[in-house]
Amino acid sequence: MKKLATLFMVTVLAALAAKTVLAADTLAEVKKKGVLVAGVKDSLPPFGYVDEKTRTIVGYDIDFINAIAKKLGVRVELKPVTSASRMPQLQEGHIDIIAATMTKNPERAKQIDFSHTYFFTGQKFITKKGTVKSLKDLDGKKIGTAKGSTSEQNAKKAIPSATVLSFDDYPQALLALEQGKVFAVTTDEAILAGILAKAPGKERFEIPNVQISDEPYGLGMRKGDKNFVDFVNKTILEMEKTGEAARIFTKWFGPATQFHLHRNFKITADR
Amino acid sequence: MLNYKFDWSIVTSGKYFEWLVSGFKVTLQLSALSIVLAFLLGLLIAVMRMSHNRPIRWLSLAYLEFFRNTPLLVQIFFWYFGSYKILPTAVNDWLNSTNFEFAAAVIALTIYTSAFIAEDIRSGVLAIPKEQMEAARSAGFSYLRSMQYIILPQAVRLTVPPLVNQFLNLAKNSSLAMTIGVMELTYQARQVESYTFKGFEAFTAATVVYVAISLVITALVNLYNEKVLNIHKAA
Repeated sequence: MKKLATLFMVTVLAALAAKTVLAADTLAEVKKKGVLVAGVKDSLPPFGYVDEKTRTIVGYDIDFINAIAKKLGVRVELKPVTSASRMPQLQEGHIDIIAATMTKNPERAKQIDFSHTYFFTGQKFITKKGTVKSLKDLDGKKIGTAKGSTSEQNAKKAIPSATVLSFDDYPQALLALEQGKVFAVTTDEAILAGILAKAPGKERFEIPNVQISDEPYGLGMRKGDKNFVDFVNKTILEMEKTGEAARIFTKWFGPATQFHLHRNFKITADR
Repeated sequence: MLNYKFDWSIVTSGKYFEWLVSGFKVTLQLSALSIVLAFLLGLLIAVMRMSHNRPIRWLSLAYLEFFRNTPLLVQIFFWYFGSYKILPTAVNDWLNSTNFEFAAAVIALTIYTSAFIAEDIRSGVLAIPKEQMEAARSAGFSYLRSMQYIILPQAVRLTVPPLVNQFLNLAKNSSLAMTIGVMELTYQARQVESYTFKGFEAFTAATVVYVAISLVITALVNLYNEKVLNIHKAA
């Protein structure tokens, strides 16, 4: 019996290990198959969401992927991912690159490689109007966010007395806020602005000026995939130089949108 | 090329181990409470289902078909989010100040599983010759008392194997509670994964614990069979 159990475990582990065997040079691989498979968000305006008219996924993240694919001369295939699924998907080779509002942090950088920062924001809260003036107002409260994101860890660190409830995705967290099940919803400001813009009854909510962390976003690629990382970095630095990166920002966040965000960053070689 | 290094120490000691233990406790509470409640409710529904009163029979049939045939995940969302729309504000405020996530999960698991348990018990009752009921009635027992003293004790005995299945299902289904933020075992395993990226270790640990819980449930029911009901495995 013990032998059988050991045999079973070994088989399972071997199967798992086999899945992590990957091609090391994504750049060559992508060129060969003629398609760049990108993991993106599909319900997070304006980074990645399904356009009501065209029924395709569009957004800030997607425009960056399109630019990279164009430079490579390949077509794009978009795969929706969640905050929790995106890293395993990349590591198992289901996708070539992550463009899904992913914050660069040291723990993640141990597992995957990041591009230069292509978007910069900070973590804040959505609350019912007038309920939160400072971080103290959140002491001992329930705070909602989405699973597998850095938001959860930052919130726990900033307000240790609070209970952080992780839902599957942000729409549910917002519903919980609306029903008074949580006192605030927390994540990066740019994402909050997107959620709030789409929320029913948005005039009852606000994003108070309480920030708990800096959030630089990077495109995620497999660890040690140097050629590909260099190529992506070169491409987005060029996009900054030609003004294309700024144009993409204005298209999705500028004065003509409902977000009115100010571009307070530039893409630089920051690694 | 193997680019994943296993590190089992994260799930056997330290902070992450404590998270898994706390998740294990919540899973245990969730499962134990729901199993007891689902069994009692299932018993009630089974008796209603075999009642001679037509409205009661129909009511229990509607209950059965409704809760058996809708996904558990939808039911969990219904009790947690949907109940808000039908309850008065004061009740909602009170619920929100409590650990309503846990309560909603218990309600959903109990009601969902009770529908299956009711059918299992009914099939057990149908296996008892109907002469027994007739004999009990002619001896002066009311319908409910005949059920209580004569039919159900025998039926439950026959129902034990399928009941074990339902209990095991419930224990595993309890992992769906994480969708509404109940910090049970799967939630904590996922949590460990998102902090450490050691998903294989975290979920292997959780899997081992689920298997252990299931084995304990099976062993307890077998023990009950042998010691209390005097049914032996050979029989």
